[in-house]
Amino acid sequence: MRANTVHPDPAETASDSIVRTAPTPGFATHKYALILRETGKYILLLFFAVISLMPFVWIVGIALKTKKEFYEAPFSLPAVPQWQNLATAWDIGHFGEFFLNSVIITLPTVVGVLICCSLAGYALAKIDFLGRNILFYFFLAGIIIPFQAIMIPLYYQLRDLGLLTTYLAGILPMIALGIPFGIFLMRAFFMSLPVELIDAAKIDGCGDFGVFWHIMVPLAKPALSTLGIVQFIASWNAFLLPLLYLQKQSLRPLTLGLLYFQTRYESDYTLIAAGITIIILPMILVYVLFQRQFIEGLTSGALKG
Amino acid sequence: MQTPSPPGTHDQQASRTRNLRWRGVLRRHLTALLFLAPALILYVTFVAYPLVGSIGLSFTSWDGVNPVREWVGLQNYTRALSADDIMQQALLHNLIWIVLETIIPLSIGLLLASVLWDGARGRTAFRTVFFMPYVLATVIIAIIFGLIYNPLYGALNQFLRAVGLDMLAQGWLGQPNTALLSLIMVAAWAGYGFNMTILLAGLQNVDMDLFDAAKIDGANAWQRFIYVTIPQLSHVITLLVSLSLIGGFKVFDLVYVMTAGGPGYHTEVVATYIFKQSFQQNFVGYGTALSIVLTVIILIVSVLFIRLRERGGET
Repeated sequence: MRANTVHPDPAETASDSIVRTAPTPGFATHKYALILRETGKYILLLFFAVISLMPFVWIVGIALKTKKEFYEAPFSLPAVPQWQNLATAWDIGHFGEFFLNSVIITLPTVVGVLICCSLAGYALAKIDFLGRNILFYFFLAGIIIPFQAIMIPLYYQLRDLGLLTTYLAGILPMIALGIPFGIFLMRAFFMSLPVELIDAAKIDGCGDFGVFWHIMVPLAKPALSTLGIVQFIASWNAFLLPLLYLQKQSLRPLTLGLLYFQTRYESDYTLIAAGITIIILPMILVYVLFQRQFIEGLTSGALKG
Repeated sequence: MQTPSPPGTHDQQASRTRNLRWRGVLRRHLTALLFLAPALILYVTFVAYPLVGSIGLSFTSWDGVNPVREWVGLQNYTRALSADDIMQQALLHNLIWIVLETIIPLSIGLLLASVLWDGARGRTAFRTVFFMPYVLATVIIAIIFGLIYNPLYGALNQFLRAVGLDMLAQGWLGQPNTALLSLIMVAAWAGYGFNMTILLAGLQNVDMDLFDAAKIDGANAWQRFIYVTIPQLSHVITLLVSLSLIGGFKVFDLVYVMTAGGPGYHTEVVATYIFKQSFQQNFVGYGTALSIVLTVIILIVSVLFIRLRERGGET
């Protein structure tokens, strides 16, 4: 109902029970115009919903068809869903391996970013030390540095450190790239907490780390989950970084694995579609289940950055 | 410390409190250092140090192998900015990309956000659907649309043939005049849900009193939208425009996977060109100079945005 209830306007209350914000008072009395308007709204929404979903529906459809069906009736639903297409793609595409690689790379990255940024964000927000502001701006500057600015020397640096084509080449730089935004977010959060909390805990005999671990971290859960989601999406979907630093088949994450799979079986549409389906369905499922957390995390990430 | 003390011990006590205070200061600094150490070590090693390395490399003609990195001064930069036709072309493509990829998702996003804000059933479901492409990897989206654009079996041409528009069916990604536009459409498709969500969040903060005042003054829905809603969204719109600007300069995944810059150089963008120069043709020095040019462009855009935002905050 929103603010309309604040100013009850006799000319509008009738229409307001149907539509939340009525157009001009005269307009609302025309019932047909109102129905037209409402219908138009839903046609528009449904049209774009179809546009958003169609590519995925098409891909999943192909994945469950026989080759013959795909060539002969591209838009019909599969007569008998060919589930074994998915199994075949899973086997010959090594997707199990790639999935595991994605987990091995993403999990430590997310944990690493959470640890580094909560510690540093706390220090920058609540501990008074010399050079605090300079250090904060030093970290903050990283937000506007694109990966392209460092990717070339980093390649040779990782090679010289002996890290190239090891999991660490996908993990350590990824954590480092997530640090600027993470510190920005965590510092802002810790700044919003009252100092009295720390003082009270210290009087109770808590050390610096005790205050951080027992008082601050539990309070910071909302900020930590936002940061965790942002970092999870960034690492799970990363492409250029693993393309450069993980050039070995046994290390490939899902994104790279799918790309090589697609290049290799280029003409086999049902197989490629099956590969894509295997990767996107779990992702979509997780997203739909936690859509609120995903959307809020990713948009507040953008709004605060 | 103003507590009265026996005259003889006064000096002693003062020095003790000073001592204690210094120890406290030292302790605080040590604690801060310990808390900052993990982030600082990783950030310096894998971001700050390579950034300095990039600047250094950009003044050389290094090929990635030779032990000697020959210093060539500003040569790479003068070439990049004045003598490299492909770089100019790539920059132009980035600019086209930015303009379209800002306007299209923003207008669709604004339309959908205002409709949902106006009140519609299934708002959460619609938002979930529109936002979905933003959660999936660009690589996956690129592969899906590569299949959709396929001249023979792709959904787009199949659809056009099915509805009798055979003459419109074409090799979308293979022709110079459609390739770039086809790529941008994918980016716009993937982006409008994100734009809509941010705008919808911005609409929640619109001051309803102003809105009602305008209504009482006789402004119609369209006028209220233009004169009341849009100005209050200016902050959010500036944010979205700047995100598209920065994203539009950095774009890589979509182009690399779908066309790799082709046909010819018709979809080459700065990021794919840097990749080719430094990792495929081993012109490491030159590639690094290009990456610094890109970084400077992004820095300028970001600083302009921050300025704009600060000014917006004052008024």
